[in-house]
Amino acid sequence: MTAAPGGATDTSAGDVAIRLEHLTKTYPGAFRPAVDGLDLAIPRGELVALVGPSGCGKTTTLKMINRLIEPTGGTVWVEGVDIRTQPTHELRRGIGYVIQQAGLFPHRTVGDNIATVPKLLGWDRARMQARVDELADLLRLDRGLLGRYPAALSGGQQQRVGVARALAADPPVLLMDEPYSAVDPIVRAQLQDELLTLRREVRKTIVFVTHDIDEAIKLADRIAILNVGGILEQVDPPAEMLRAPRTDFVADFLGDDRGIKRLSLMTVGGASLSKGPVVGQSATADDARATMAELGYDWVAVCDGDDRLLGWIGAAELDGATAVGGLTPKPFLAVVTADTTLKAALDGIVTSRTRVAMAVDGEGRYLGMLTVDDLAEGITA
Amino acid sequence: MTSLAARPPSWSGFGFDGNWDVVWYYILVHLRITALALVLGAAVAFPLGLAGYRWRHSYPAILGVTSVLYTIPSLSLIVLLGLGFGLGLLNDKPLIIALAIYTLAILVRNLVEGLRAVPDSVKDAATGVGYTPLRSLLVIELPLAVPAVIAGLRVAAVSTISLVSVGGVLGRGGLGFLFFEGYRRNRTSEIIAGIGASIVLAVVVDIALVLTRRVLTPWTPARAVR
Repeated sequence: MTAAPGGATDTSAGDVAIRLEHLTKTYPGAFRPAVDGLDLAIPRGELVALVGPSGCGKTTTLKMINRLIEPTGGTVWVEGVDIRTQPTHELRRGIGYVIQQAGLFPHRTVGDNIATVPKLLGWDRARMQARVDELADLLRLDRGLLGRYPAALSGGQQQRVGVARALAADPPVLLMDEPYSAVDPIVRAQLQDELLTLRREVRKTIVFVTHDIDEAIKLADRIAILNVGGILEQVDPPAEMLRAPRTDFVADFLGDDRGIKRLSLMTVGGASLSKGPVVGQSATADDARATMAELGYDWVAVCDGDDRLLGWIGAAELDGATAVGGLTPKPFLAVVTADTTLKAALDGIVTSRTRVAMAVDGEGRYLGMLTVDDLAEGITA
Repeated sequence: MTSLAARPPSWSGFGFDGNWDVVWYYILVHLRITALALVLGAAVAFPLGLAGYRWRHSYPAILGVTSVLYTIPSLSLIVLLGLGFGLGLLNDKPLIIALAIYTLAILVRNLVEGLRAVPDSVKDAATGVGYTPLRSLLVIELPLAVPAVIAGLRVAAVSTISLVSVGGVLGRGGLGFLFFEGYRRNRTSEIIAGIGASIVLAVVVDIALVLTRRVLTPWTPARAVR
């Protein structure tokens, strides 16, 4: 976005893409503001989630950034420019906008929907076509869909087209207003994962409104929790907020499973692993019994000569056997890798017979073991 | 339609033979009156509908007036327009204007309902990506209202085609003239020709409008188009 000629510029912008300065909105006839003196700086390239209960003014706040709603007080700076210094339709063409029902134009093909803003900006055909193809690939939309009408698409596909349309003219800022709340949970999780991947490929500043705190924790670099009346309770990265909620409201909003939620932000790779009762395939039954006794378990894990995890053998099966090699190890139910979240690891631990999660590398080689105690240490540390 | 300016051919004898040019002539007259009434009605309904859509509070009043006009008996309205407004009764003007007035109730309502049926998410998106209000109306909202508008045109066209015949009482009214004259002269064939031709005309016009809709709205799901 270029500075409007003669317009006011915010010299303190720095790495801030969007700055809300004492932003206020009082609807006509309302006796108290929907958003009351909100100050918030959104760093360039970050995804900031505005979260809160209904009536907290999160959508109102979002819509004041592209002037779908006019503030009654305060200022919005986008890339250092006061948004009131340019015509609203020009401002909006420079800001990507994604909404809940996708809001695709039913009478235009998918390709034409994606090309909406480039067309408004007067791009030539070849450039538009190239951009549409590029975005279809980026959002994993089959190019065969580009000539179809939106009615022929699934909800998830429509939402992807909505994102492609918002990205078409390569705006620096994207506003997303509960974009995934109208799709079913499976598709929602997919779309969230895709957004995470997308953000590694295209760096955008994103303001993301949601009422789903888990969605915010999963997607956001920073969460802003708003209370009724647009009162900003806390802005922090998800892990920090879960670790130290500043107010009772925030703690309540985060839920009574804050510790578990924090586990969803940590991975096995970052956790300290226990050694675990492990023997080689060639070990004798006595070796195995000694290992179990030493670490206090009634089972032992078995690895092959390359350290690959084969499974486990219970103490009862060792009775009467002379060597581990003659027995058939049972597979572990909870096998995790460095990328697995600790929340998933915990789930594996509590549902497996051995009460542990076994960590392996990409080739299946044993790295170590996780117990509930190991996880608890991670949370309380 | 230069043939219309010529002296109208008249029915001869009691059969159909040699009278097909008469039927064809009155079909064209009937079609011309219908088309003019619809065009005139649409030309008035369009701005009225847009006003009713843009200024919500004006809509009940607009709807009220067009509905009241719709209740005026047709013959009275034609005579009122012909004599009261000095248009005369020896031309098609009072008939065409009366028919146009009747179409308003349907056309205005369908235009407004069609525009209002455009999903909020679509309008929100149009504004949000940077359409000006006028451009959004022209390239997003109006195209999406086309199915409702054509549905209104179909009802208006069929009812207009049947109402044109009322003009037959006054010696005008296209195909209506045939069955009023046939009744007067006790010529069954002429009555049948007049009624049959107006039914065929209504069906043909209706089909033409359905096809027009299919061409204009390729985006509607095929099942919804009937």
